[in-house]
Amino acid sequence: MKAARGLSSTLVLWLLGIVYLFPVLWFVLSSFKPGSELFSLPLTILPETWTTSGYSTAWSRFDFQRYFFNTSVVAVVTTALTVIVSAMTGYAFAKYRAWWLRAFFVCILATTMLPTEVIMPSSFVVVRDLGLYDSLPGIIVPSIITATGIFMFRQYFSTVPDELMEAARIDGVGEITLFVRIMLPLAKPICVVLAIFSMQWRWNDYIWPLLVLRDPNRYTLQVALRSIVGADNIDWPVLLSASVISLLPMVLLFLVFQRQIMDVDINSGLKD
Amino acid sequence: MASPRTSVRGIRAVALALAFGLLAACGSGAASPDEPLQFFLSGDANQGGGFAAMAAQYQQETGVRIQIVDLANADLPTKLKNAAQANDLPALARVGGVDPVWRDATMDLRGILDGSGIRSELAAIDDTGKVLSLPTDVTAVGLFINKSLFDRAGVAYPTGPTDAWTWDEFVSKVKEVQARTGTTYGMVMDRSSHRLKAFLYEFGSDYFQADDSGAFRTNANTRTAFEYFKGLNDDSFMPRSVWLSQADPNAMFKSGDVVAYYSGSWQIADFAKNITDFQWASVRLPQQTTRATNYGNAASAVVFQGTGQEDAAYAFLQWLYRPENYRKLAETSGFLPAVDGLEITHATHADAFALYDEEIAQSAPIVKEIKRRDLAYEVAGVATEGDPVRDETVRYLNGELSVDELLTGINGQLTEQLGRLP
Repeated sequence: MKAARGLSSTLVLWLLGIVYLFPVLWFVLSSFKPGSELFSLPLTILPETWTTSGYSTAWSRFDFQRYFFNTSVVAVVTTALTVIVSAMTGYAFAKYRAWWLRAFFVCILATTMLPTEVIMPSSFVVVRDLGLYDSLPGIIVPSIITATGIFMFRQYFSTVPDELMEAARIDGVGEITLFVRIMLPLAKPICVVLAIFSMQWRWNDYIWPLLVLRDPNRYTLQVALRSIVGADNIDWPVLLSASVISLLPMVLLFLVFQRQIMDVDINSGLKD
Repeated sequence: MASPRTSVRGIRAVALALAFGLLAACGSGAASPDEPLQFFLSGDANQGGGFAAMAAQYQQETGVRIQIVDLANADLPTKLKNAAQANDLPALARVGGVDPVWRDATMDLRGILDGSGIRSELAAIDDTGKVLSLPTDVTAVGLFINKSLFDRAGVAYPTGPTDAWTWDEFVSKVKEVQARTGTTYGMVMDRSSHRLKAFLYEFGSDYFQADDSGAFRTNANTRTAFEYFKGLNDDSFMPRSVWLSQADPNAMFKSGDVVAYYSGSWQIADFAKNITDFQWASVRLPQQTTRATNYGNAASAVVFQGTGQEDAAYAFLQWLYRPENYRKLAETSGFLPAVDGLEITHATHADAFALYDEEIAQSAPIVKEIKRRDLAYEVAGVATEGDPVRDETVRYLNGELSVDELLTGINGQLTEQLGRLP
């Protein structure tokens, strides 16, 4: 009975896995089809004629190295700053008591009420007046503060007992050392999760880099890739191949950090 | 010797310094006159890279570098608006229409237009005579058929200038092909008021026009055309999914399971490359009472003032519109020319391009008149919110509106949003 139940849930999970895998598989395999085969009936999973012409066109048409570099700079720098800033802010919200901190926290939360698109015109004016237009900092700086990240850290640090801090203070540890050497290592799982999220967000960012960057040499990958979508036509083979190429770094990142992503055990380092 | 603690701190400090150093290093510089001229456009690489090729040739001849910035079509207007806001417009751009945000920043292109063969009725000219934009190329609505299906069914289709179908004939022939070949759909038409316009003209409609008081009205034929159109959208002749839920008609036609595709000249290059399973052909548009296609500038060139590069950009555009250069551009990109009196030799499907030229030349005067009105509103900076004609038609096809409500709805919205002809 128990074995049967185990088997059926395994089966369900396998089915779910296949449902998720299927579109990805079709997408990747389609990138190896010639344009004439993409829409011909009956639809086939495997290409009849395998071709890499989409890849070679995409590779020669786009300066992938440059775009990868730009996107990596933006994603890595923003992620590092986001994690540091969110951890410090979240820690302050969780562990220090002041009326203005609470008010400030509400303000931060309120930013989640407005979609990015709504505040875009005003953000644009601010960035322009700061002289950050057409520069990578122009897309890095506005993305550092995320309410989600701050909220994640605040919630996590609230679960850390105050006794831990008091013990450290009694031992003569200063506030900054307390944060850097005791609290931050405790929050490592949150750091990793936020880092992964942030990398993903920044990697896929489109509209903001499009507005702020003028020089094509500073373009990020997504801005460059979307130019394939024309007015009335889409060059599907190139679009599919270029998308597959642009996915690879994210997939690599996942493979490297697989353990941390799957194993978000936020109870580490604490005794009950 | 450094303790482990200080070395950790050292590494952190270096990392932070690096991060900020990188930030500082990525700072921007202002445009200087010897920088390349930026040319914002959309879809050049998809269309054979004509502009890129001309830019390369121009650099060879004059040493002036034109940097082609290919952007997604849907985002080009947003990008230009923001660039105007940041006081950082490119030297020139190829745009879908003149935007009120930057219309005053454009340079007068009168000197290029005068004495050239550029179709002046497609240029945006304001009431002072200033030429805001020039057409770079023309597109026109046209009909594609799956020739293989027609051949298999043994049904003939028009090949000469005299045997064009009426819509009734077209529909019955296509239904014949559908029945004999077991094809799922008879026709698909892009979900666009641009295509719908041509359809309406072919039924003798004079579209929607403002009278002297600014109230929009239309003639009785428009009503007939809409009713006919709704009859076609029956999920057997035309799939309802294209207009109601944005299914991709281009992909459906390419699948080979649709007999005809009511679209336009821009598909030729795509079909030539991406259809190999069957043969297709361009045929004359069906004409119920009137012969008409809907044509217009696919896009227009503008030069921006205040960039410090306006004179260089103007010179480039002047060079581009010289007959020998423009011919090369049109041939490379597969454009229908926006310049009259040029012999363009298209490498492939020359017959299809010739057919479009003929359709444009033979189109009823109403096409030009509506185009003139559209341009007048555009130059005056008056635009509609979305596309009332398309959106109301979708509601009509969905059974939300009666044909009377549809016509009153469109007339009402256009009256409110556009008003009197400027």
